[in-house]
Amino acid sequence: MTTSCTFGEMMIAALTRTIADGTLVFHGFGSPLIQLAMHVAKRTHAPRMILVAGATYGVDPEPPFLAPTSNDWVMDRGASSSLGIEELFDLAAAGRMGRMFLSGLQIDRWGNCNVTALGYPNIKLKLPGGGGGCNLSCDAAHITLWTTAHRSPKDAKGQRRFRLVEDCDFITNLGHRTRDGQPAKELGHRGGGPQWLVTELGLFDFDADGHARLTAVYRDTSLDEVLENMGFTPRLAAKVETIPAPERSVVELIRRLDPLKVHEKEIRAEDLRREFAIT
Amino acid sequence: MIFSLMGGEMSKTEPRPIYVDSDKRTGLDDLAAQVKDGSVVAVGGGLSSREPMALLRAILRRGVKGLTVVGSAHGIDIDLLSGGGAISRSSESYVGFEQDFGMAPNYRRALESGAVSVDDSCCYTLVQQLRAAIQGLPFLPIRSVRGTSFPSLHPEYKRMICPFTGEELLLVPAIEPEVALIHAQYGDAQGNLLIQGPPVADILFAKASREVLATVEEIVSTARLKELGGVSIPYFYVTAVSEVPMGAHPTACYPFYAYDRRHTVLYYEAARKGADAFLAEYLSVFVHGAPDHADYLAQIGGEKARARLSSWRDGAEAWKRLYMDEAMA
Repeated sequence: MTTSCTFGEMMIAALTRTIADGTLVFHGFGSPLIQLAMHVAKRTHAPRMILVAGATYGVDPEPPFLAPTSNDWVMDRGASSSLGIEELFDLAAAGRMGRMFLSGLQIDRWGNCNVTALGYPNIKLKLPGGGGGCNLSCDAAHITLWTTAHRSPKDAKGQRRFRLVEDCDFITNLGHRTRDGQPAKELGHRGGGPQWLVTELGLFDFDADGHARLTAVYRDTSLDEVLENMGFTPRLAAKVETIPAPERSVVELIRRLDPLKVHEKEIRAEDLRREFAIT
Repeated sequence: MIFSLMGGEMSKTEPRPIYVDSDKRTGLDDLAAQVKDGSVVAVGGGLSSREPMALLRAILRRGVKGLTVVGSAHGIDIDLLSGGGAISRSSESYVGFEQDFGMAPNYRRALESGAVSVDDSCCYTLVQQLRAAIQGLPFLPIRSVRGTSFPSLHPEYKRMICPFTGEELLLVPAIEPEVALIHAQYGDAQGNLLIQGPPVADILFAKASREVLATVEEIVSTARLKELGGVSIPYFYVTAVSEVPMGAHPTACYPFYAYDRRHTVLYYEAARKGADAFLAEYLSVFVHGAPDHADYLAQIGGEKARARLSSWRDGAEAWKRLYMDEAMA
């Protein structure tokens, strides 16, 4: 009998808990952790969730396995319908999209994300770009942010290059405040902005000011570890909880959904070694 | 024409052309010859599916320069054009190899060196700009994007207060690509195209662009096209069409063949090592070293490769095995 789960399964379960039943939820490409979280949610607590797959725009697909690329016919097998690109984004602009998942090479305290370039306007490193994330960060009702690179080990010079940064070089996806400090809610967007940030070290929500607030850590991470790996100081919930492990049935479901372990490509080697007891 | 991408003069939208020849069939090289230096180009397909790769290789062999590319989610197509020196401006929303391989090496080098100007966009912004062109309008409004850094990259975006509701909106100008390059599963001699599976932005590209150059796996009769599922893109948008089997390789063109992850590994390794290695190990072999598409197909393993990539049809287990083999390759 399965008595433990991997860190990936732990994080998928944490992401799954951010999904509400009866809402339209969308994932982008290059994010198997999110694809799995959505498929787990649909098969557990959120059966009436509308699952729209990124890249294929298939509605409620049942892929036979997870492929290493999201625009693959594997990923929209069993879909009851398929949307056009314009229809998907129209849904969000019209306020019908309940949740979208976004990430970035830089994420700041307000949940702004940079997926465009490090260094701007003098570009040092060109990132792939955010796809439709910019639009959806404004239009989707709620956003779950995630990263598997919160941990920022010191380099040879003793410097850390943070993923959770003081300032984004470029704001690709909007968080709760603009670069000038203007609250995003004054802009009149459809969406409410980031609600959760799930990392390999902890779980954050965003307080009434829109500031990241640590609410939980994993069994094997500490508050100090969370804080020393960040370029800004998060606020702290009154009680910082421990992120619960998934139920055995959820772990087994994830293993059935992703037999090729495609999601492990998103996880660093040191985190692949983490193990959590399950009941 | 609206030509906002270059930040230059904007003039009124001109009436759009239609194409009425009854037989638009041509060869791949003749198709590629219609792409002129400096054009604004919309490349069809997305990520690892149905990208017009044979046509892009033919364009590179001709030495086309100075293209501006617009698009949503792309990968090896735009990376190849970057590595081949064909692009001078990128207005793509995403160019990468997802979590599987990561960032696009040639694209990164070209944009970081300044050889290619960074003009990034986002999917819905692009959709609205294409829809403006399709409707013959100079712009369309969107609510999103305000508050991000994109307006600083795109001074052509304008803000307005909605005269009906009083809310602030962003106006994005029409994008009217000079040419859309599309690979579809089926077409007919007249240029009707049938796309099976996700069309990505191809239908918008076809309708917004002044010319559509298409490659297809098979040219069939119009009656057969209707049996197979009907027309996704009517003929009068399409300038010319060429039958190019395996024309999307190494991206997928289901149901004919799956994504060739093994070839993509080879591509990525060469690209990652640097511009010189990419030229020696990839471009010189698979682009300039294969003077036509038949030579390319021979280079990638001919019938054996085609059979391997079509084995997905044998059922879910066979499909998975194909990826398992690829994962271990």
